[in-house]
Formats: sequence, structure tokens, C-alpha cells
Amino acid sequence: MRVFVDPDLCEGHSKCEKSAPAVFEVRDDDLSYVLLDPVPEEHREGVERAVRVCPRGAIAMTEDNE
Amino acid sequence: MTQVTLKPEDINLNDPEIFERNQAHQVFDYLRNNEPIHWNPEGERNVGYWNITKYEDVMFISRNPELFISSKGITSFYPKDESELDEQMSGNGKMLITMDPPRHVRLRRLVNKGFTPRAVNAMEDHIREITNQVLDDVAKKGRCDFVLDVASQLPLAVICGMMGLEKKDWPYMFELTNKVLGQGDPEYQTDAPEELRGTPEGARIAGQMGTMQMFGFFAQQLQDRKEHRKDDLISLLVDSEVDGQHLTDEDILWFCFLLILAGNETTRNAISGGLLALSEHPDQRQQLQNDMSMLPTAIEEILRWVSPVTHMARVATQDVEIRGTTIKEGQRVVMWYPSVNRDEDIFPNPHTFDITRQPNDHLAFGIGEHFCLGAGFARLELKVMFEELFRRFPDIEKDGEPERLRSTFIGGIKHMPVKFTPEA
Ligand code: HEM
Ligand code: SF4
Repeated sequence: MRVFVDPDLCEGHSKCEKSAPAVFEVRDDDLSYVLLDPVPEEHREGVERAVRVCPRGAIAMTEDNE
Repeated sequence: MTQVTLKPEDINLNDPEIFERNQAHQVFDYLRNNEPIHWNPEGERNVGYWNITKYEDVMFISRNPELFISSKGITSFYPKDESELDEQMSGNGKMLITMDPPRHVRLRRLVNKGFTPRAVNAMEDHIREITNQVLDDVAKKGRCDFVLDVASQLPLAVICGMMGLEKKDWPYMFELTNKVLGQGDPEYQTDAPEELRGTPEGARIAGQMGTMQMFGFFAQQLQDRKEHRKDDLISLLVDSEVDGQHLTDEDILWFCFLLILAGNETTRNAISGGLLALSEHPDQRQQLQNDMSMLPTAIEEILRWVSPVTHMARVATQDVEIRGTTIKEGQRVVMWYPSVNRDEDIFPNPHTFDITRQPNDHLAFGIGEHFCLGAGFARLELKVMFEELFRRFPDIEKDGEPERLRSTFIGGIKHMPVKFTPEA
């Protein structure tokens, strides 16, 4: 799967980082960066949770075959 | 607590007494379990709307700002006769909170760097200093009105400080906030003739006067900043552009209006409501005071429990089906945060106040496009306030019954007498 953070929406609330620390990193500019591309299957649960709890709805996922 | 009538056709959440008497949870429990999407009948002056009481449905609506727009107003009240809107100086479509994509996010980006976790945390020392000044003022008395003297003072000082307002103007901002957001409560209807207080007309007069006075005040501030820039939000807005265009004076005034209201009424009620919830759950309070490292989860639980903003409304831009009910194009949906924050499908034992609750994905700050811009400030203000409060007045307790605000929009407490051992 591939994961994207929309920098226009992200405001650095770090919920993503807490849900999937191996996938997201919130840097000094208060933006979240996706560390892995593609994101291995083992992180699916964490990413799905991040998508759900991100207060700004800033995270999107696509499947590899899309 | 007296039992309220629970027949769907009789349930009317326009009635502020349900909230003033603290009976809303009985109604919400009933609706979530029997009619989670419930048609609220129209009133004499206002249109009917759908009451949305389940967590997943509020997520869906909030996450689809094109399907459910904010520019037709964000409170449950919308007049049948739209000409009433102009009379009340409607800000629909003109503030962040009543604006739709795509302009919304562009406007939000002008200011959001000042509200990110990093920016907020940099203010911690300053917020602690203000908190201690507030507590100094009551420390020797041993009793006070917790709302007026403590809970309202910190958020007011923080937001007024960010906007560069002089201290002498802060009480006026408090007064005007109460008139606008507390317009339904007779206590704040002082601009209305005596015989109209407590009536919808009294509320209209209070709200309108409060709004006009707020505009008058900020028009002067704006003029002043145009002549002399300061390091504050108003000056920032004066110099800001969206799509290569400066904001108009009207844009800036509505921005100020929103910030001052949102910044001081809500956090006030989270602080007062938090102390009240802790007083009503002495075991939880003891646990927290024994180990203040529990404060972060305790604050989330306070936010869930109190849900200081009672609702936000949207309007459907096309027919949408939710849970088998069709919301028709043009109809209003009202998302009830106290209800979704006790949704039994999301929160185990939702009516238990548990300061260790985790996960706690409450929606007290909303979610998505309009997620509360000030959430970081609110959380920090709560943290610092409870740290300092319990450090200095560990035995603070309620000394009489709280008086609740008469409002369907703000879960407010107007007064709450407290007592504590005075500092020497
Ligand atoms: C405990 C305190 C607070 C609560 C419960 C609260 C709650 C909310 C809620 C429910 C919304 C609407 C979210 C949605 O529609 O999804 C909101 C929006 C907003 N809040 Fe707060 N708020 C609080 C404190 C603050 C503070 C301290 C500030 C300012 C410093 C603030 C500024 C705003 C602004 C500007 C918006 C509009 C954002 C937008 O539409 O993009 N709030 N808040
Ligand atoms: S949770 Fe959302 S808003 Fe917060 S840092 Fe992650 S992507 Fe950004």
C-alpha cells in the first residue's frame, strides 16, 4: 500500500506518529512525513488507525494495484 | 434528576431547559438507541433539522465538507424567514467556521502555524505565569466564584494576549462573549427591556447588540494596527493575502470575532466542567492528585465528559442516505457532541468517568476540515490550570450548586462557588 499526507491539511497533531511510528514522522515544520514507500503490509493496522484518528483527515491510502 | 418525556415525537432539542437542567444525556441515550437520526420539529421561527447522535455518523458528516457545508450556519437555529439573518448580522460564509472548501483551507493556513503543537508548547511558561497571576488574585480569600474568578480568566487572557488587546479591554471582551454566546440566557440579556428577558426576542437583542459592539471594538483595533503593526494576530491578518488579495476589513473583523468567542467561552467551560466532574468523582480525583502524571488522559476524559461545545450544524448539498434515513438536499443536520462522546459502540462504559481511559478518541473538538484550530491551546491551558490549581489549592471543593447556562450550543457553567484553604 502507499500512504500520503496532504501538507495543506496536516497541522502536526502527531496522532499518525502515535498510531504507526514506523510509517510517520512529524518534523520541526509541524508536518507529518511518510517514511516508507510502499508501506509494508505489517503496518496496515497502524496506518488504518492513523487515517481514522487524524483530526484533519489529512492521510490517504492507496493499494499497490491501483 | 427528573425524568424527561421520551417519545420521539416529543423530543425537541431546541429547548434550552433540557441543557440547563442537565437532562440532555437522558434524551441522547434514548435517541442513540431508538432513533439515532431523529427529525427535530421546526419551531415558531426556526426550521426543523436532523439530530445526529452516533459517533460514526458525525465522523462521516465532518469528513465530507462538500456534501455537508458550513456556510448556511453552524448552529441548530436557522430562521424560516431568511431576512432575519441580515438583521442579525449573519457571519455565514464569512468566518473559518462558517466557510466551505476550497477557500476555507486557504484562510486557515494564514494562521494555523501559530496554533500547531510546537507553537503552543512554546507558550507554556507564559501560560503558567498567567495562571499563577489568576490564582494569586483569589489565593488569600479561600472562596470565590470559580467560573468568574478563575476558569474564565486564563483563556480570556491567552486569546486577548494573542490578539494584542490591552488588559483594560479584557473584561469588555468577556462581557461581549457572554452576550453573543450566552444570548439565550436571561442573565446576559441586559440590553433587552425587562419584559423581554428570557424570551427569544430577548435573546435576539442580546446577540445582536453583542455582535455590533464586538464589531465596533475590533474596527478600532484594526484601524490602530493599520497605523502601527504589533506582534499579534490582528497585524498578521492585516498583512495576509489569499490568492494574491489582501483580506478585506470585513474578513478581518469576522476573524477577530470568531477567535475571541471560540478562544474564551469553550475552554472556560472545560475548566469549570472539569473541576465539577472531578468533584463528583472523588475516587478519580484522589487518584489524579496522588499522581499528576495521569493528567493528560484525565484531560481527554474531561473533554469527552464535558463536551463544552454541544453541537455543530451542517447543510446537505445533495440527498444523502445515512443509516437508512435520507437526508434531503438543503436539510440541516445537527451533530451532538455530548451524545457521540458517550456512544456505547465506541466507548466502553460510556457513562463512567475514567481518568485513565485509553483510547479516547472523543470528538469534543470536532474532526476534519473544521477541527478546532485552538485544540492545542485548550489542552495546554487545561493542563497548566489543573497542575497549578491542585498544587496551590489541593482541597478546593464545590461550595454550592453550579448554575448552568441556558443554551443548546454551549455546555456552559455560569457560576460555581468554591472554597479552599487560603494561602498565608
Ligand atoms: C475546550 C475548549 C474548546 C473546545 C471544546 C472547542 C471546540 C470546537 C469545535 C467543536 C469546533 C468545530 C469543529 C468541527 O466543526 O469539526 C471548533 C472550531 C474552532 N475552534 Fe475551538 N474549541 C475549544 C477551544 C478553542 C480555542 C482556545 C480556540 C482559539 C484559541 C479555538 C478556536 C477555534 C476556531 C478558530 C475554530 C474554527 C476552525 C475551522 O472552522 O476551521 N477553540 N472548536
Ligand atoms: S495526525 Fe494528521 S494532522 Fe496530525 S500530524 Fe498526522 S497527518 Fe498531520
